[in-house]
Amino acid sequence: MNLVSLFAAESSGPIVHVAPGGVLEIGGITITNSILYGWFTSILLITLFIWVARVITVKPKGGVVQFVEIAVNFITNLVESAFDNVKIGRKYLPFFVTIFFIIVLNNWLGLMPFVGNGFTSGENPLLRPFTGDLNATLAMGVCTMIFVYAVSIKESGGLVPYFKHFFAGSPKNPIYLVSALLEMFTDLTRVLSLSLRLFLNVAIGEIIIGVFAYLGSSIAPLTALPFVMFEIFVGALQAYIFTILATMYLAIAVNHSGDHNDEDDLTADVPAETIELTAGSAHGRA
Amino acid sequence: MLFAEAIDVAIIGKGLMIGLGFIGPAIGIGLIGASYMQAVGRNPEASKFLGQAMIFVSFVELFGLLAFASIFIVN
Repeated sequence: MNLVSLFAAESSGPIVHVAPGGVLEIGGITITNSILYGWFTSILLITLFIWVARVITVKPKGGVVQFVEIAVNFITNLVESAFDNVKIGRKYLPFFVTIFFIIVLNNWLGLMPFVGNGFTSGENPLLRPFTGDLNATLAMGVCTMIFVYAVSIKESGGLVPYFKHFFAGSPKNPIYLVSALLEMFTDLTRVLSLSLRLFLNVAIGEIIIGVFAYLGSSIAPLTALPFVMFEIFVGALQAYIFTILATMYLAIAVNHSGDHNDEDDLTADVPAETIELTAGSAHGRA
Repeated sequence: MLFAEAIDVAIIGKGLMIGLGFIGPAIGIGLIGASYMQAVGRNPEASKFLGQAMIFVSFVELFGLLAFASIFIVN
């Protein structure tokens, strides 16, 4: 239906476009169909949020505004509970809310029937789901991780304290050195795992919808419907997972830097005399 | 020679790739679901961790999707 032609009568199977196709050129730069649809979605998102910010009221009225409010609340609670210090979480909240809405809107609008081979420009489809393009998701992953690194360096107070977090002990000990290097390498693979997960989920979902639409031939909408429903669920789930993973990556780095001696000390609310008494008697016996 | 002409080896390769590549993630997602249901059975309050279980499902699922994506490389 989307990435795959619905009426692929002559060919032996559905036509699959894994790579995006160029549709127009501006000043020597080829504009692909996925970035075109991404711009469309971004404009829609900005318009929606400006409108919601204008009409929102303290007393709920229902409608689309309500759904946006529920989703924003959900992500707000998610991000704030991930951080030890709620103030830090609230400071970087807008980024996570934005990325959640960009992904969920792109995933859902990519399932629209006019996306794909409905309109074509030359031999390529005019529109293509933005998140069904590895370039787009890679850009999202790179931006997210650059943001996460920048904020973690800033919150831990400089480059040296930031790199200190990777070491469990002195770097002169080879075990700590190797484990820190491994930890750094794992950190770098996060860009790829974030972007590949989103791209593969969306693109393969589209391919599966296309395959089942092809198999259904004359009753294509009926056979593709269960998979479209599943993709609606997967689209929301992937947006949630992208957001919560980005939050976790930031929260791990930031929470580590704050000193939480008060929380770790189990005897914080025990009177000093009691501690002295019990500790003294234990030492005395030993 | 005869064998290679009669059967398209690439199709067999693709089939094996998908079939074998999906075994691992299928077992993994099954184990995650089993552990989640066991935890809920022991302690019904643990049902609030469904979101975290889903995150691990997505971790596991990535490898199955990688296997699926690699069939487009084989010709």
